[in-house]
Amino acid sequence: MILNLSLILLSPFVGGLIYGLERKLKARLQNRTGPSIFQPFFDFLKLANKRSIVVNSYHARLGVLHFIGVYIALAMLLMGGDLFVILFVHLMATLFLVIAAFSAQSPFSHIGANRELVLMAVYEPIFALCVVAFYVVSGSFEVSKIVIAEPAFFHYPLLFFALIAAIAVKLKKSPFDAAEAHQEIVGGVEIEYSGLYFEAIYTTKWLDYIYTYAVCFLFGGNNIVLGVGLAFFAFVILNILDNSTARLTYAKSVNFFLIAIFPASFLNILVVSWIS
Amino acid sequence: MSWWQKLLKFGAKKSPWILHYNAGSCNGCDIEILACLAPKYDIERFGAINKGNPKQSDILLVTGPVTKRSRERVVELYSQMPEPKVVIAIGACTSTGGVFRGMYNVEDGLDRYIPVDVYIPGCASHPEQIIDGVAMGIEILGKKSREFEMAKKLMQTPVADSVIDRSKLVKKVGDE
Repeated sequence: MILNLSLILLSPFVGGLIYGLERKLKARLQNRTGPSIFQPFFDFLKLANKRSIVVNSYHARLGVLHFIGVYIALAMLLMGGDLFVILFVHLMATLFLVIAAFSAQSPFSHIGANRELVLMAVYEPIFALCVVAFYVVSGSFEVSKIVIAEPAFFHYPLLFFALIAAIAVKLKKSPFDAAEAHQEIVGGVEIEYSGLYFEAIYTTKWLDYIYTYAVCFLFGGNNIVLGVGLAFFAFVILNILDNSTARLTYAKSVNFFLIAIFPASFLNILVVSWIS
Repeated sequence: MSWWQKLLKFGAKKSPWILHYNAGSCNGCDIEILACLAPKYDIERFGAINKGNPKQSDILLVTGPVTKRSRERVVELYSQMPEPKVVIAIGACTSTGGVFRGMYNVEDGLDRYIPVDVYIPGCASHPEQIIDGVAMGIEILGKKSREFEMAKKLMQTPVADSVIDRSKLVKKVGDE
């Protein structure tokens, strides 16, 4: 219990470190020196001292609610709650951000929100299928039961790779980052945030890192070494993909998922349930 | 100054996010700015990233001798940036007007419209000079507070005001 609570309190710091490590790794892959690993925390301090320009109060409040929603989902995950409920709480938190983006006048904000909605319909089913796979292996939706069951990775390897692609969409990594598209729509849904309210969005990214890699970790089941290895493997693969691929349009991302990712993961689940 | 204020100032110095605007430049200085962000000069080791969004930026890099078409945009971008903020004029044109000084279509430098903190000379400025200027800008950013900083008044009527207003020309049915 105390371990869980301390994990929940520490998770923003760990998430920030993962983000800093990722920026460092990205710089080293491009043969640069890159920023310090603690760079996200410097950004955090900087943003706390900026004046906030509020577009409308609803927009600003929904940004803070987005942070709170994701933090609650993460807390439930670390306390060993029901994985389906966690999935829906996280989905609701993401929807807050989309609604906020629609409430601003900026066309970039609207384009980003539309793309976010389309891509959400693509990555959420993969997360849901992973939960189904965990249920088949462990007989429960509870995270506390999943971590003492046998590893799901040996039964569902294809689903794990599908999860990596879904994480690339969720964390807005390069082949599937049409929703953020820094060079075209300047961040999409987060464009109108500034100061303290952008800090909420910025910190939520760190929490999302923990959330997504924790789902990777659950594929290891009771084998902690395997779980950590899988999460690390996902981290490295995602960064190499991010630095070596160009951006797909959102329609092409959806097509890729419909043609390759969804059939592979369904096939994996069907074959396993047919054999056993 | 209490310890948390010192901490916030420290954070401001370590993470300058850059907004880059081309106010009619020949692209010479813009290429050098992009060279700063590329692997050889790697300005990201100071924590700087090219943000492209005025609402989340700290440093405004302007190139070009502010043309009459671009002056309203530059004032607009400046007023959308939240304080504390720093403006850096890159190149001879942006600092003084350069070879275009006195011409009918340019405005002889950026400081007629917005307060400039650092001037970087050169045509085009070297990446080393730009890095030096950004480092000076970061020093100034550490000293600034959240006080309002306003753009100077437009010296002549904006282009949009001098366009014929059709709503004043139309007449109602029955008017003489």
